[in-house]
Amino acid sequence: MEKIAVTINGRICEGIRDQSVLSLAMENGIYIPALCYHPEVASSGGSCRVCLVEAHQGGSMRIVTSCNYPVREGLEIKTDTELVKKIRKGILELLMARVPDSDVIREMAAKDGITETRFFKDEEADSRGKCIACSVCTLVCEEVVGVCAISMLNRSREKSPGTPYHKASNACIGCGACAYACPTGAISMVDTGDKRIIWDKEFRMVKCSVCGAPYIPEAQVDWIVKTTGKDRSFFDKCPSHR
Amino acid sequence: MSTIKSFDQLEKTREKLRAAVKKDLPSVLICFGTGCQANGARDVAKAFEEEIGKQGLSVNVTIGLKTTGCHGYCENGPLVVVRPQDILYLRVKPKDVVEIVEKTIKGGEVIDRLIYKDVNTKEAIAQYHSIPFYSYQKRIALRNIGNIDPTSIEDYIIQDGYKGLAKALAMEPEAIIKEVEASGLRGRGGGGFPAGRKWRSCVAVKSDVRYVICNGDEGDPGAFMDRSIMEGDPHSVIEGMIIGGYAVGAHQGYIYVRDEYPLAVKNLQSALVAAREMGFLGKNILGSKFDFDIKISRGGGAFVCGESSALMRSLEGKVGEPRAKYIRSVEKGLYDKPSVLNNVETWNNVPMIIMNGSSWYAGFGTEKSKGTKVFSLVGKVNNTGLVEVPMGITIRDLVEKIGGGVLGGKAFKAVQTGGPSGGCIPKDLADLPIDFDSLTKAGSMMGSGGIIVMDENTCMVDVAKYFIGFLVEESCGKCTPCRDGLPRMHGILNDITEGKGKESDIDTLMELCDVLSYGALCGLGTSAANPVLSTLRYFKDEYIAHIRDKKCPAGVCKALITYRIDPKACTGCMLCAKKCPSECITGEKKQPHVIDESKCIRCGVCKDVCNFNAVNII
Amino acid sequence: MAVDNKKIDEIISRYEKTEESLLAILQDFQREFRYVPEEGMKRLGEVLNVSESKIYAMGTFYKALSLEPRGKHTVKVCMGTACHLKGSGQILETIERDFKVKRNHTTKDMLFTLESVNCVGACAMAPVVVVDEDYSGHARPSKITDLLKKYK
Repeated sequence: MEKIAVTINGRICEGIRDQSVLSLAMENGIYIPALCYHPEVASSGGSCRVCLVEAHQGGSMRIVTSCNYPVREGLEIKTDTELVKKIRKGILELLMARVPDSDVIREMAAKDGITETRFFKDEEADSRGKCIACSVCTLVCEEVVGVCAISMLNRSREKSPGTPYHKASNACIGCGACAYACPTGAISMVDTGDKRIIWDKEFRMVKCSVCGAPYIPEAQVDWIVKTTGKDRSFFDKCPSHR
Repeated sequence: MSTIKSFDQLEKTREKLRAAVKKDLPSVLICFGTGCQANGARDVAKAFEEEIGKQGLSVNVTIGLKTTGCHGYCENGPLVVVRPQDILYLRVKPKDVVEIVEKTIKGGEVIDRLIYKDVNTKEAIAQYHSIPFYSYQKRIALRNIGNIDPTSIEDYIIQDGYKGLAKALAMEPEAIIKEVEASGLRGRGGGGFPAGRKWRSCVAVKSDVRYVICNGDEGDPGAFMDRSIMEGDPHSVIEGMIIGGYAVGAHQGYIYVRDEYPLAVKNLQSALVAAREMGFLGKNILGSKFDFDIKISRGGGAFVCGESSALMRSLEGKVGEPRAKYIRSVEKGLYDKPSVLNNVETWNNVPMIIMNGSSWYAGFGTEKSKGTKVFSLVGKVNNTGLVEVPMGITIRDLVEKIGGGVLGGKAFKAVQTGGPSGGCIPKDLADLPIDFDSLTKAGSMMGSGGIIVMDENTCMVDVAKYFIGFLVEESCGKCTPCRDGLPRMHGILNDITEGKGKESDIDTLMELCDVLSYGALCGLGTSAANPVLSTLRYFKDEYIAHIRDKKCPAGVCKALITYRIDPKACTGCMLCAKKCPSECITGEKKQPHVIDESKCIRCGVCKDVCNFNAVNII
Repeated sequence: MAVDNKKIDEIISRYEKTEESLLAILQDFQREFRYVPEEGMKRLGEVLNVSESKIYAMGTFYKALSLEPRGKHTVKVCMGTACHLKGSGQILETIERDFKVKRNHTTKDMLFTLESVNCVGACAMAPVVVVDEDYSGHARPSKITDLLKKYK
């Protein structure tokens, strides 16, 4: 792997060619806010735009998303210029107005000293809950889990994740990966007793034969057995009792 | 027609086809562009066929009859050209056909009522090429349109069709790229990226598979040159793509066409079949050992698919969202393979550049914008339609000389160029040359060549609202600035047009413009602010009038205008009262009428039906 | 409207069985049934081995596709720039008012679906209304209702 030197806010940081600016900044303890990028999901990122930074190279400057901008020798990154702050403020204000109930967004904005948005809560705010339409949930479902039960539907401001025909999906295995990966906690997953409800579909949970705790949906076990050939009895016990 | 297997055979075929054309044969060309068809060109063609039969003449023996692609002068369709005299008849009706055959074709006589009359000078002109709309044009991209039958590959071959291809296949691919680079050809679809440089970057990437793609998803409202080319001269696009494919080492091409252009889809499809049959597509093209074919894909109605990575996702059968990664599609495009994407007009220029040489092409236009460009001149202008002129023509020349000035003698206010990514250029800059860089400097852009003329009755705040509204609907919704920022901008503009604007709105708009320009993911978003930025730059006083004085100076914004009947002009004909949907116009017969402003919904029907210009907007 | 499964299979069979054909097949469904039926999307998913959610997402993304049945006639009011300047907004509002239908919706009797569409590329005839395949140029608010009433 080719090691290279990149300057972030005047500090020289050593990184690996093609690594993202965001990950290099994190390694060096430099804060850049980010929402839609998930390290386990290769194609995530670039959608929420809060991680914008100035990238200077070869005498020219452009504003880029640090989560997916690859580091190159001689690259100079500035995360806190007036321009970056101004654009980020605008984006955070838009997000605050979009999902007024999201504490994640509110806290992120507060770190930048933004406590209010100039934009009013719109009519659809309640129905969209805390979703910022970043598509991490659908990417996890497709690329990591491999079932593709949900997709980003519609376009423009109506864009949102959902199941086909807005009905309980045949493909969904109830694994909850989407809910775990969501940066704003927008996806409702309710576990009660041996039942789990997610995306309007009810799943029966398998109980651990040792501790008796329900820990995995039956449908997920079926899926893993089918796709990996793993023995079903493996799932008799929960991970802490295997 | 059998397969052509060599360059020699192509030339022999061409000679044979040319020899079969009777040069002095009187002939009738009927424009079958979408505009003329809408105005009844099909009935006119049928009437000609019948009349020719009735008169004991026979089609293509004693008289030629041909339906062609769009002549561009759509405003005045159906258009009929009579040769060899080169007479252009406008707004021809089936009932005019008998007279045309009798007087013009048989007698060589011009029918005065059907020829062009200049709106300004009142001069009547019979000759096609003497009409100002055509006389200033230099047709390279539109070279064949109007002359050939787009469904006939033979017609195309007669006009030197596939000659550029034959020449290209005898050249080294590198020499072709050099030639395209030297021609200075820049992409005609939007940004104006040099085509040759794009091809070179594609070749520079190591790959076993490459693609060439034609963007025919013409999305800019007000631009329809690509439609006209695909409908009227489909082989020119195909030939350009084959040359491009050979130059970059691609064996598969794709044409992505708007599904809203059914005639373009049809003509391209039949052209592909004909080209395959004659051996211009397929294996071992013209004996050169080069294999290439083209598939057509119909667009799904999404403006964002004009963006290269979104278009390629759509071609793959996916949702057409742009890719967020910092990779150029020329390196990793369709199916992650190096792909050259150019638009219809760009591909269509390629055969001419190869055939006539780069220096010939570079002889037209300006230093940095070479060649000619097709513009769709529309809006509040006398002569609307498609025109092709050398780059660098001034806005004034285009609007006044070719366009014949502003409609109805109103005052010229601005032109809008570049579609939703472009901006409005005020009349003070009318002497600005139209080329890629001048337009960008003025805060607009070339885009695909739509030139929309605006007059004193055009409200610039309304125009900005219109474009932002368009983009709100067309945003794919993937990134925050575009998805959430545009609706906010639209809301503010809407408030302003409704008289609810605040002084601080202009600052908020400017900030949102920056969020989009710097923060959005793709070209649609980063250029989306241009309509607002350019109108704020040149027409800020109109914004202020709406905000501060609650007035729409152009008399457009409904909430800020009042319809009133001028009692002096009103004849009391009662037509407006009869047609008013909210029944708010009263008055006795032959007495001036009055609009009840409290009930008026400002639908404009009264003004539309009034024959005496008695309804005013104040 | 009952959807003919044989027709669905026939449409699918027109194309190569690759993901690349998806949009074209959905467009053919739209043309045949005047919308994209759920049965069609399900069958397409099975045949092409593409997840249903992806196909459904296409249906919601592309404007040319509709997931609800459309009226017998489609009335497209062009909203291109030239048409806008020449009053297409008034045309649209007149149709909305006289036929009691909102844009991008269908009349109760299923006769008309009213669409406001992007530039149809017939700017020289602005404002333009396209009924099914028929183009009408230079449309006027006072004339448009009578024009549409001819369609049964």
